Amino acid sequence: MSASTASKPTAIGQDPRDWSAWVLGSIVVVVTVVFLIYPLAHAMLLAFVKNGEDPAWAAFTLDNFARFFTAASYKRALWNSIYSGLAATLLATAIALPMAYSVARIAIPFRGLISAMSVVPLISPPFIGAYAWIIVLGRNGTITQLVREWTGWTLPSIYGPPGVILALALSYFPYVFLIVQGALAAADPHIEEAARMAGASRARIVRTVTMPLVVPAIGAAMLIVFIKAVGDFGVPSILGGEFQVLPTLIYYQIHGFFNLNAAAAIAAVNVLLTIAAMGALAWVNRKRSFATVGGTSGAAVRLASPGARAFGNVYCWLVIFIAVLPQIVIAVASVAGRWPGTMLPESYTLDHYRAVWSQLTRPIANSLILAGVATAVCIVFGTVTAYASARGRLRARWALDLTIMLPFVLPGLVVGVAYLTAFNSGPLILTGTAIILVLAYFTRRVAFIFRSVSAAITQIDPKLEDASKICGAGWATTMRRVMVPLAAPAILAGAILVFSTLIGEISATVLLYSAKWKTISIAIYELVLGDQLAQASAIGTITTVLTLLLVLAASRLAGKNMAELFR
Amino acid sequence: MAHATLSVRGLTKRFSVGGSEITAVDRVSFDVHGGEFFTMLGPSGCGKTTTLRVIAGLEQATSGGITVDGRDFMAVPPQRRNIGMVFQSYALFPHLTIFENVAYGLRLRGIGATEIERRVRATLALLQLESVASRHPAALSGGQQQRVSIARALVYEPTMLLLDEPLANLDAKLRVMMRDEIRALQRRLGITTLYVTHDQEEATAVSDRLAVFDRGRMIQIGTPEEIYTRPQSLFVADFIGRANFLPVRLRVPGSPAAGVTLGNGTELSPARQVRLEADEAATLSSDDSGVVMIRPEHLALDATSGDVGCRVLRIQLLGGLIRYTVQSDASPVDVRVETTRAIPGVAEGAGVHLSIPPGDAVLYHR
Repeated sequence: MSASTASKPTAIGQDPRDWSAWVLGSIVVVVTVVFLIYPLAHAMLLAFVKNGEDPAWAAFTLDNFARFFTAASYKRALWNSIYSGLAATLLATAIALPMAYSVARIAIPFRGLISAMSVVPLISPPFIGAYAWIIVLGRNGTITQLVREWTGWTLPSIYGPPGVILALALSYFPYVFLIVQGALAAADPHIEEAARMAGASRARIVRTVTMPLVVPAIGAAMLIVFIKAVGDFGVPSILGGEFQVLPTLIYYQIHGFFNLNAAAAIAAVNVLLTIAAMGALAWVNRKRSFATVGGTSGAAVRLASPGARAFGNVYCWLVIFIAVLPQIVIAVASVAGRWPGTMLPESYTLDHYRAVWSQLTRPIANSLILAGVATAVCIVFGTVTAYASARGRLRARWALDLTIMLPFVLPGLVVGVAYLTAFNSGPLILTGTAIILVLAYFTRRVAFIFRSVSAAITQIDPKLEDASKICGAGWATTMRRVMVPLAAPAILAGAILVFSTLIGEISATVLLYSAKWKTISIAIYELVLGDQLAQASAIGTITTVLTLLLVLAASRLAGKNMAELFR
Repeated sequence: MAHATLSVRGLTKRFSVGGSEITAVDRVSFDVHGGEFFTMLGPSGCGKTTTLRVIAGLEQATSGGITVDGRDFMAVPPQRRNIGMVFQSYALFPHLTIFENVAYGLRLRGIGATEIERRVRATLALLQLESVASRHPAALSGGQQQRVSIARALVYEPTMLLLDEPLANLDAKLRVMMRDEIRALQRRLGITTLYVTHDQEEATAVSDRLAVFDRGRMIQIGTPEEIYTRPQSLFVADFIGRANFLPVRLRVPGSPAAGVTLGNGTELSPARQVRLEADEAATLSSDDSGVVMIRPEHLALDATSGDVGCRVLRIQLLGGLIRYTVQSDASPVDVRVETTRAIPGVAEGAGVHLSIPPGDAVLYHR
């Protein structure tokens, strides 16, 4: 009683006389089945039939998968995905760990600012970072030319594995930093003090106490980076050159041959990589609890020696500088007139912005409309499901959680393939419409709202709902007058995050957009491929500044540091 | 309407937790009269809060019936029961001002703005909250928040007031103040009140009648005095107030009414000293072993004469009372005497005599 039921929340549909909860619940189930489960399942079925045939037992074949053993391009793409994913993960971890330790355990100033700045690479679309590296390190890049002038050396080409791995690592290292720093901050400082009292040196404490405590967090963060890296399309398609990975292979199967079945098979293999990593992540998370448990007692003792502080300051700001450099380069490139491989341009101009303004109003409007509508759908669906998951006595809660989180971690190209195959024929034909983009966006981003609102709802005393009912309010009134106002900051924060990251979405868009519904990200992509880097930079800068401002607003609304939104 | 009578019949609530069934409330029946202050008392996990939540409509009963003024309540959703409820956590709406918190129930009843204003102001005045009307709950002290939650529950003139451990989050001094305030308010308004607490002192201090719960069952119902002086079971005797339990043996074969013998051979005459109040005591037969319960304040100590010879183990001053811990040969016995009646010449380690005054010991089956 007191212990068990007093804390038990009142569930959706617990009162059979209140129909509003049932109606909403049914809508949730229908949407989940039609737009989340069906496309993914359909795409997986298509992978087992020949090009152009419908899924049926008679047409069953493993030909699409056999190419992974016969075709050299397939074998290479699979290997390249694994190799670049692993390399980027290791590089990201190597960059992030000293930084996480510095912020968590060394007495350096502006720790909050460092954390906030570190999310800039996560906010701006990775492919924007990728072409910034072309401006800096490309064949005619600034640094390439400077090095050539001063030393006579020609730097190795940025195109190919080194560029892809570097850009991926610099795009995703903040996940490792944020997660490990969070785990270090949450670890009970008394444990380290106890080791100290037992006579251990600083170095020995790091090796025998601190690191083992956060190893699960490091493992979890590395897996997230791996999942993101093997699903990235923008970076390898811009910097890869001949270097094909699974997402680019999917893209060429569709754009080159419109072979949906082959694309679905590649997508299935890509998903296998992701699912393997997710399984590993779940396994690591199982053991993660001890790193974060009971860490509320006092702040950690921070190293204050001049040497440690010098290292911490220099290292953190150097990493931040390199991570933010692409954004700076793009901003400079967007106003550059003549820039003949010098450190800074020789003249400045706003021509690129004027050009963008006259030619790209349509894509800008498209992106705002598509992202806006998708965000609205995410808000409604994400909030309702979060409530159901947090408060409902659902037996299948894990299934709901999984269904919502899975598309979030699946590569965008995979979601694109799933939608393309599911809605290209059959009962619901949506290809070429705005609706298919909105739905794909919704699928990929609803988890942001779901997570944000779930966290908020678990913080709200379930007794508030009881109190509202006792006062005379039905379920719908209670939602409208009590729960929604209380969850509003979380809903808004999640919504801004959805909207801002959708403005630059490319990997699902690139398969689903039509001439009429071209977005900003596609416009930038085409400009980059057409070598019109200055104009691409202008629109890239607009996108990044807009996104950054929105995320800043979200963090203010949620009352959190920008870094916490991504942790 | 505030004088509603409540009737609970055979109320049962079962939960399934991880596949196994737990009976939280087991065939509970009682009546609450119009205007009565009725308390459900028991340790945590005894079913009292679940019973209250079923009455409120927040939980569905597995079986049983609830009627209010003769009207069947089981099919009425909580929002149409017109009940006021105060929660342990107060459950104030953090996004609304105190005024809006109190006005919440009135707005849902489609009452006009001026009438809402009038009634909220009146209720806030009743609970001395006028000055904080425009603040938000977070800016209020625990005692003020408690008052707001009472105001919110009373403003729409409910048929009954339900309070679920309303004082548990207050500090000791405030708790005593608030409980007297709640009782005074309830008397003034004459509203039928159901109160849930695990604190026996609180329950006996405020209630007209109270029901003691243990493991889902209601085991005794009565006025505070009845329950304190004539507890029907060892559990109730132990839970309400302080008690000494002395093992005894029935003395005269074939006649339990003939008296009992303490462990050291002291005989207690039933005519003089032992009541067979408890139902189960009637089943006692000769030579059975039993337990005698005596309240510490009913025992008397004397330096020279008494029923049992003892040694003083400890003397403690507890404000207005002195507590003597004495021992004969059984377990230590707790004796409490008003400070003004301290026994002269008794010190720790000294020998004293313990006497059991007539009519104050209760016999139970072992």
